[in-house]
Amino acid sequence: MASHLSYSRVNLNILREAARKDLREFLDKCSGSKAIVWDEYLTGPFGLIAQYSLLKEHEVEKMFTLKGGHIPSAAVKNIVFFVRPRLELMDIIAENIARFNYIHSHLCNLYIQNKCEDKLQPPRDFHILFVPRRSLLCEQRLKEKGVLNSFTNIDEYILDLIPYDSDLLSMESENSFRECYLENDQTSLYHTAKGLMTLQALYGTIPQIFGKGECARHVANMMLRMKREFAGTLIPTLPVFDTLLLLDRNVDLLTPLATQLTYEGLIDEVYGITNGYVKLPPEKFAQKKQEEGGKDLPTEPKKLPLNSAEELYAEIRDKNFNAVGAALSKKAKIISAAFEERHNAKTVGEIKQFVSQLPHMQAARSSLANHTSIAELVKDITSKSKKQSYLFIFVSRNSRSVILNSVLMQTSEVFFENLTVEQEFMTGVDTDKVCTYIEDCIAQKDPLIKILRLVCMQSVCNNGLKQKLLDYYKREIIQTYGYEHILTLNNLEKVGLLKPQSTMRNNYPTIRKTLKLWMEDTNEQACGFNPNDISYVYSGYAPLSVRLTQLLARPGWRSIEEVLKMLPGPHFEERQQLPAGLHKKRQPGENRTTLVFFLGGVTYAEIAALRFLSQMEDGGTEYIIATTKLINGTSWIKSLMDHPEAPLF
Amino acid sequence: YYVKASYNEPRLEARVALLQSSVDEFNKAKNEFAAKATEEEMRLLRFQRKLEEAKGEPLLGFSLHDTITALLSVGLHKHAEQLYKDFRVSDKRFWWLKLKALAEKGDWDELEKF
Repeated sequence: MASHLSYSRVNLNILREAARKDLREFLDKCSGSKAIVWDEYLTGPFGLIAQYSLLKEHEVEKMFTLKGGHIPSAAVKNIVFFVRPRLELMDIIAENIARFNYIHSHLCNLYIQNKCEDKLQPPRDFHILFVPRRSLLCEQRLKEKGVLNSFTNIDEYILDLIPYDSDLLSMESENSFRECYLENDQTSLYHTAKGLMTLQALYGTIPQIFGKGECARHVANMMLRMKREFAGTLIPTLPVFDTLLLLDRNVDLLTPLATQLTYEGLIDEVYGITNGYVKLPPEKFAQKKQEEGGKDLPTEPKKLPLNSAEELYAEIRDKNFNAVGAALSKKAKIISAAFEERHNAKTVGEIKQFVSQLPHMQAARSSLANHTSIAELVKDITSKSKKQSYLFIFVSRNSRSVILNSVLMQTSEVFFENLTVEQEFMTGVDTDKVCTYIEDCIAQKDPLIKILRLVCMQSVCNNGLKQKLLDYYKREIIQTYGYEHILTLNNLEKVGLLKPQSTMRNNYPTIRKTLKLWMEDTNEQACGFNPNDISYVYSGYAPLSVRLTQLLARPGWRSIEEVLKMLPGPHFEERQQLPAGLHKKRQPGENRTTLVFFLGGVTYAEIAALRFLSQMEDGGTEYIIATTKLINGTSWIKSLMDHPEAPLF
Repeated sequence: YYVKASYNEPRLEARVALLQSSVDEFNKAKNEFAAKATEEEMRLLRFQRKLEEAKGEPLLGFSLHDTITALLSVGLHKHAEQLYKDFRVSDKRFWWLKLKALAEKGDWDELEKF
């Protein structure tokens, strides 16, 4: 369980264990049996920390989701609320408790009248656990509702950075980009700084801090201040991280807008990955089940975990999607060859060895089948009309022989056209004119988010749109999708995704050239199979954020001073003093470890690009990635949208 | 500026009034585009109500695009044309709409006309 967390150089399992320990301590504080009432949003992230079995060990008997009305009855002594500090949730809790108290006192009276006191239920203890921080405002609200005294325990469970994978941490705070850049609410930055302090307590002080952007500056300031406040209380440990790089999302607005083209990225674009799980339409998986045992068709979406614990997935997740088909078929050959080997096994010893490998091989095959299905699903949406793409499908029969079928896939031009427009924008073609593709999409009332993504992209690539052009787009959008979206458009302007062109000249081409954001010569096949630059993750475009990270390691930011000035926000460098004797003696050939923190979200393609850099032989740096939230263009724009309630007439 | 957030709750009359006040705010903030868009929305709402009363088609709250679609699909071409002119809808979009609506209905005679 969770063994995949300890694979990489930095053992993130330590962090997970620490989080579990805190949870156990809290649960033991309320003695006796208990039921947990969950804030629905938290169940996903918590699943990454502790499975149900752990909760069970600590006498958790029932779990409910938090909703209005009254709590389902359960014969337990304690009721524990796990919630985010949100006022609207407090109201629900207050309602729950008020109802409970009312019914309870009613029952008491009834029992007393009937003189059967022995049947009287023992009163429950209520507890509340705020994740990640308790908030005075929320407690005040509970007090106003007159239920604050009902709680025996009010506590906080500090859960800032949740380990996702061996090299990935996320805070999963949904709206942090919106809060920081739109609402000027820096709470999530505080959580970030706190989370980084926790990290430093476990893994040692990080000697060097680099950063770019307003929010990065804030976080670094807070960290340095907290460091002073806690001076001396930290147990000195040998530092695991050499460098911390804080990056604001608004330094690189372009990357998340573009469609990700890695395997994992595309799964996220098409189906959305939440908390390391993806939900897929069941049809593709149903057939196989029937062959195996003729079970009923599953109607629920199939939920699959996606992390590096699965060997095959770890191998293909970061590949350009063009290369995935080939990788899968290669794997299939290896596996079937391995199965064939049993015929060659002569001696008892050889057979024994073969049998001992069987479970592993069977696991490999089922994961292969799963990913073939996923790849097929994604391919249905993305395959291009220009090339006839073949994909291999594996049908397993009698659970032994593997038959390869090549099937001509359905083509879909929409995806390809969309991609072409994106790439034109990124290379700077016609970014100052009305794009006919966008016009057509609006006229056909395609999903609004798709339109917004494209318009924003054009704006970012052109360093703002001409007033006339901007107004034209806005007018078209409002007329087609409704007036209420004026709020959304307004938000996008506020965070700088859409903006009127100022008198300043367009500096995007300069940035593109100096940072080599567009690799002309990356022909797709080559970058798919044997990439030599990070630009393969977007088939040509190298994510700005990752390029900055790469340049920081070598040759350093001083060489691109000019470009850094063009990007929003200050850039800075801080050093934290290490206690004497803890300076790491670097072994020759040992890599540096850098923690890259994306404030406001990171995409899977960027993660893939950083992993690629870690693996480069001459890179000399390994990257661990942390973020406030894993995003893609769609979820990102969605978080910036305003949905006024539909008015009733 | 913030008036616009509150406009959603009340009923039509109150809503138009609130929109008017947000127009004033937009003007104060020198946000010409938003002011104009808001005015257009008010105009659209009034038009929708008038038509709703006359024809009994539920239209209120639709976007301009959807209103035109709805009108075309029930054969109120005149009113649709009127909206198209009043709100300066781009030609391209209007023809798209018209083609689609007519094709969906299978109204080939009307399609022939242009």
